Amino acid sequence: MSEDTSSVTPLPVVGHQYARVDGPLKVSGAARYSSDHSFPGMLHAVPVCATIGNGHIDAIDTRAAAAMPGVRKVYTRENIGKLYRVPKSARDAIIDERRPPLEDDVIRYYGQYVALVVADTFEQATAAADKVKVSYKGQQTPNVAVKLSADERPKADTERGNPEAAFASAAVKVDQTYSTPPETHNPIELHASVATWDGTRFTLYETTQAIVNFRGVMAQMLGVPSENVRVVTEFLGSGFGGKLWPWTQAMLAAAAARDLHKPVKLVVSRQMMFHNVGHRPQTQQRLRLGATHEGKLVSLQHDYVYHRALECDYSEDCGEATGFLYSTPNLRVTGGFAERHVGPATSMRGPGAVPGLYALESAMDELAIALKMDPVELRLRNEPAIDESENVPFSSRHLKECLTTGAEKFGWAKRDPRIGSMRKDGLVLGWGMAACSWIAERFPAAASVTFNADGSVRVASGTQDIGTGTYTVLGQMVAELAGVELSKVNVVIGDTNLPPGPISGGSMATASLVPAVAQATRDAIDKLLAAASEGDSHFAHAATDQLAFAHGRVYRKNESPDSGRRFEQVLTAARRGHVEGQGKSEGTFGQPGKKEYSSHSFGTHFVEVTWQPEIARLRVSRVLTVIDAGRIINPLTGRNQIEGAVVMGVGMALFEETHYDKRNGMAVNSNLADYIMTTHADSPDMDVVFLDYPDLKLNEMGARGIGEIGLAGIAAAITNAVHHATGVRVRDLPVHIEDLLASKVA
Amino acid sequence: MSEKKPGDFVEIQLGRRNFLQIVGMTGAASGLGLPVAAHAAAIAAVAHSAAPAEVDGLALVRFKVNGKAQSLKVDPRTTLLDALRDHLQLTGTKKGCDHGQCGACTVHVNGRRVNSCLSLAAMHEGDEVTTLEGLGQPGNLHPMQQAFLEHDGYQCGYCTSGQIMSAVALMKEPCGPANADVKEAMSGNICRCGAYSNIVAAIQQVRKA
Amino acid sequence: MEPFVFSRATDPGKAISAAAKSSTAQQGAEVRFVAGGTTLLDLMKLNVERPTQVIDINHLPLADVERTSDGGLKIGALVRNSDLAHHPQVQRDYAVLSQALLSGASGQLRNMATTGGNLLQRTRCVYFRDTNMPCNKREPGSGCSAIEGFNRTLAILGTSEHCIATNPSDMNVALTALEAIVVIRGTAGERRVPIGEFFLLPGDTPQRETVMMPGDLITHVILPPPHPGARSHYLKLRDRASYEFALASAAVVIAVEGGKITHARVAMGGVGTKPWRSPEAEQALQGQLPNEHTFATAAVAALHPAKPQSQNGFKVDLAQRCLTHALSTVVA
Repeated sequence: MSEDTSSVTPLPVVGHQYARVDGPLKVSGAARYSSDHSFPGMLHAVPVCATIGNGHIDAIDTRAAAAMPGVRKVYTRENIGKLYRVPKSARDAIIDERRPPLEDDVIRYYGQYVALVVADTFEQATAAADKVKVSYKGQQTPNVAVKLSADERPKADTERGNPEAAFASAAVKVDQTYSTPPETHNPIELHASVATWDGTRFTLYETTQAIVNFRGVMAQMLGVPSENVRVVTEFLGSGFGGKLWPWTQAMLAAAAARDLHKPVKLVVSRQMMFHNVGHRPQTQQRLRLGATHEGKLVSLQHDYVYHRALECDYSEDCGEATGFLYSTPNLRVTGGFAERHVGPATSMRGPGAVPGLYALESAMDELAIALKMDPVELRLRNEPAIDESENVPFSSRHLKECLTTGAEKFGWAKRDPRIGSMRKDGLVLGWGMAACSWIAERFPAAASVTFNADGSVRVASGTQDIGTGTYTVLGQMVAELAGVELSKVNVVIGDTNLPPGPISGGSMATASLVPAVAQATRDAIDKLLAAASEGDSHFAHAATDQLAFAHGRVYRKNESPDSGRRFEQVLTAARRGHVEGQGKSEGTFGQPGKKEYSSHSFGTHFVEVTWQPEIARLRVSRVLTVIDAGRIINPLTGRNQIEGAVVMGVGMALFEETHYDKRNGMAVNSNLADYIMTTHADSPDMDVVFLDYPDLKLNEMGARGIGEIGLAGIAAAITNAVHHATGVRVRDLPVHIEDLLASKVA
Repeated sequence: MSEKKPGDFVEIQLGRRNFLQIVGMTGAASGLGLPVAAHAAAIAAVAHSAAPAEVDGLALVRFKVNGKAQSLKVDPRTTLLDALRDHLQLTGTKKGCDHGQCGACTVHVNGRRVNSCLSLAAMHEGDEVTTLEGLGQPGNLHPMQQAFLEHDGYQCGYCTSGQIMSAVALMKEPCGPANADVKEAMSGNICRCGAYSNIVAAIQQVRKA
Repeated sequence: MEPFVFSRATDPGKAISAAAKSSTAQQGAEVRFVAGGTTLLDLMKLNVERPTQVIDINHLPLADVERTSDGGLKIGALVRNSDLAHHPQVQRDYAVLSQALLSGASGQLRNMATTGGNLLQRTRCVYFRDTNMPCNKREPGSGCSAIEGFNRTLAILGTSEHCIATNPSDMNVALTALEAIVVIRGTAGERRVPIGEFFLLPGDTPQRETVMMPGDLITHVILPPPHPGARSHYLKLRDRASYEFALASAAVVIAVEGGKITHARVAMGGVGTKPWRSPEAEQALQGQLPNEHTFATAAVAALHPAKPQSQNGFKVDLAQRCLTHALSTVVA
């Protein structure tokens, strides 16, 4: 344990609430998203999608489509031009669907792109795409079976002790299987690509959470040097992992732009987004927990299977948090996949951990019931001293405090554990809770920081703001480090022409940027001091090492900082327009070798549901979440991240599932009326508590990520509350009304 | 095409299908089975002789957008949403589903909120349309825009245009005072980032101001 | 979307004669009137509707709500759902209609959708909406994909071996309980169709959903005067709290006199291939004491004819609970 190794030292800017620096653009329609870009002569592209789920293209008749008004060209495998594969091993060019679009005539999933129509207008391209006639051969029923069994022998992710023997002899046991359905990310922004080509260089306006990786992929697939590809994402309408790696519409748009020498816009339709741009795969997870009568875990086995698309190798690591969340001498986590004829799966917010913790935290609730023990108490009794999976200490872990603080603030002591026993305003109440965790690591990052003679400071990095607040937290970091007002900081991101920044994934962008930005700021300050020493007569004859910088001022070390000169005065005196510093940091994620610390964020959710048995109406009414994620740079945007995850968690628990038709593999509910997500009316009263212990082993500000952890555990907290209210234990998400009709609570 | 007479059945567009009307529509939906190019050519010829001013098959729409008179010639299939975005470059209004299922495309038509994706541009002759850009701009934000900014009533900002347009329209609609009333009234605007509680707080602040 | 001629009607007669050239007013119509556009544009984008001519009727003078001489209400076909829901007389005399309208869709869609258009709202069956799948309603004779497919949300009442598509409207359920009259003007003049006769069961012609003929224009809906002493209520059950179609809904109009039910009108939504009037339930209520036992008996009677599919058997229980609770609420 590392309780209270570091107390919170307040900082002037970091840790305080600021309205987003990009907010005025967002609330006025001035923020430009990828599909908002438009160029003279721009053409519109609409893909044609396969209407079978397993088979081969026999022939494509494009004549009728090509003759439609406004159509410039219809592309198939024959004429799309050269597109190349990205090697599996490419660390700087990651893509889930490595097969380039239109590469062969094999249909591996329903909705796969088989042709592309480019026309003058969107209306013309859409109408013509409907006229492309595709015939198929060798058509077979796709395998989209819901029941999963691993195609190959499952591999052990982590193990210790003898879990079978310990389980066999355990005093109290839980052995249950849980499943989560395929979920579709469904950011409200449609995936889009606007591709331009000047004969040598591509400029690509993309919907991506990782512009630098996108450039790497596009350079490989288009067969051009990466300096000939520029990727721009000024604003992203969120992604939740679905926009982490490129999808094939980008290559189609770029190939058409290259061929037609015209800018091409391709906006993926909502329907296509259920097939072509990833999803969270279905999982099936068996949990075996053994404990003593005192509630001490003696064995934990977590065996999971997930579905996998053909020719894709995405893994849903459901055991992500299982190895270290609780103390137990005997443990094994195994994972396997089952191939299905579905579009490629990809990371979705909290990949692995989110479905995994639904299962683990449901099983813990079932164990608490079997033990007749309070579920908070059960977790407190199994708090580990170290990460028992890696055998290293935690960099900073306060799960116990998350449990006790949450219980106290929620009023958990008033909980009557008997099913259906709590009532309020004529409704049955159910209270449930769960713990959560998410990795805390860093990616490589580079940034530049510039002091300008006009008094502004510029920070630049080739990263992107996906809605998490990167513009604002970057501004805060620099305002903090340079000692200037936030309003004086200009944040420039979203362009691969900038120093390569981190991906916005894994909740790591903020933590990754801290060291790079700090180094760039220090570098810029050094250069500022050199400029003062050389060019500002105010500091005449002062060597650089006799000068210092604080609160925007350069001063002599032997004098008070207040006596110093503003940096803009120094630059003006030195006749310098600006000084620019560079910073670069290595990543920690995926680095070889044994780690010194186990770095994770932790948290707890406490949930109240209301149940109205006479009309089978269940609603989530109240959620309290306690998060231990290091220092929170901006509590305003930070709280929003956690609440937003809870809102998504309500959907995960109660609404969301993609259904594939067993006859052709089509996602039958491929629209936002049939794939239902949480509305305003479904969102509960929420409260968020940040413990705010800086994790200084991760970076100098002690900031970890908060984008994903809020979704981990919440579904289990909800289904645990559902069980408390109704007596119905839902082990297959989402909870359906039909499940609850079995409730005996009246 | 014939002259427009008040009180008559007014053709405001001449497209290839006018052919059907000119030569008399039959129950067999004449021409649907024809190769499209040949069909279009034939109609264009007929249309040419009938109404040279409207041979391009485009619908004329004259309306006010954000207080400014606009006259557009659009494909009759063009939705109000696509007309705003592609023809008037008012890209603040967003496409999220194109089927009235998310609310990102919400604009005001004659002061009332509508889904611009489920309306044809051609249906808005004479209407007054307001988009997010028409409410206020940085430095001169509408109170609702300011409230969204202060309450962090968004994350990615993509559904925000629709949320704010709905919120402003809500001020004039019958709606109870409670948060629950606002939530129900705003449920036609999906925020996948889940910034709902901040959005409701922003709206309630403006309502109580 | 297929190309079409767009024109604007300023006179009902001309609109009717133009539309009369269509071979059908049902699925496959070549000429379509557009008012709100919320169903038509949605289906045109999916190529389910492919009219060659679209006539904008928004400028026809059919947007008024007037009192009838006998104390009823005459509602113009172009009255928007939101305006109708908030009309003071509707709120006072026909609460079930106001509640049904406000439970449907979203604020934006209710500002667009019209009374006439809502009567003609099409099913949400996913197979009807996907032109790659067989559907007898869309392509007669092609087969029903839903019976062997995803049918959780589909109908359990009024189905046939050819179609199990649900009528998705909330408004129509309330209008059915209120025994509304649909006023239709066609080439042969005006006719008045009781709402119970307006909708057709799918049978072996699921492509025919209503009595609408080529050229027919719905001009008004007439609500009979409210039954003296009657109270009404609409209850809608669905997966999420708002902005979703019903899994089951109930519209009830009940009068109690001298401790007994003297007037009972019951309709259900989300469960039928058309807005589902239940004479069985009405009979079970008529003359009985307004208590839980009576309501439960009526609910069982209402669902007695139900024929569930593989995934929607739960709707029997859910619809019974819905109706029972709506009845308890209205007499409370």
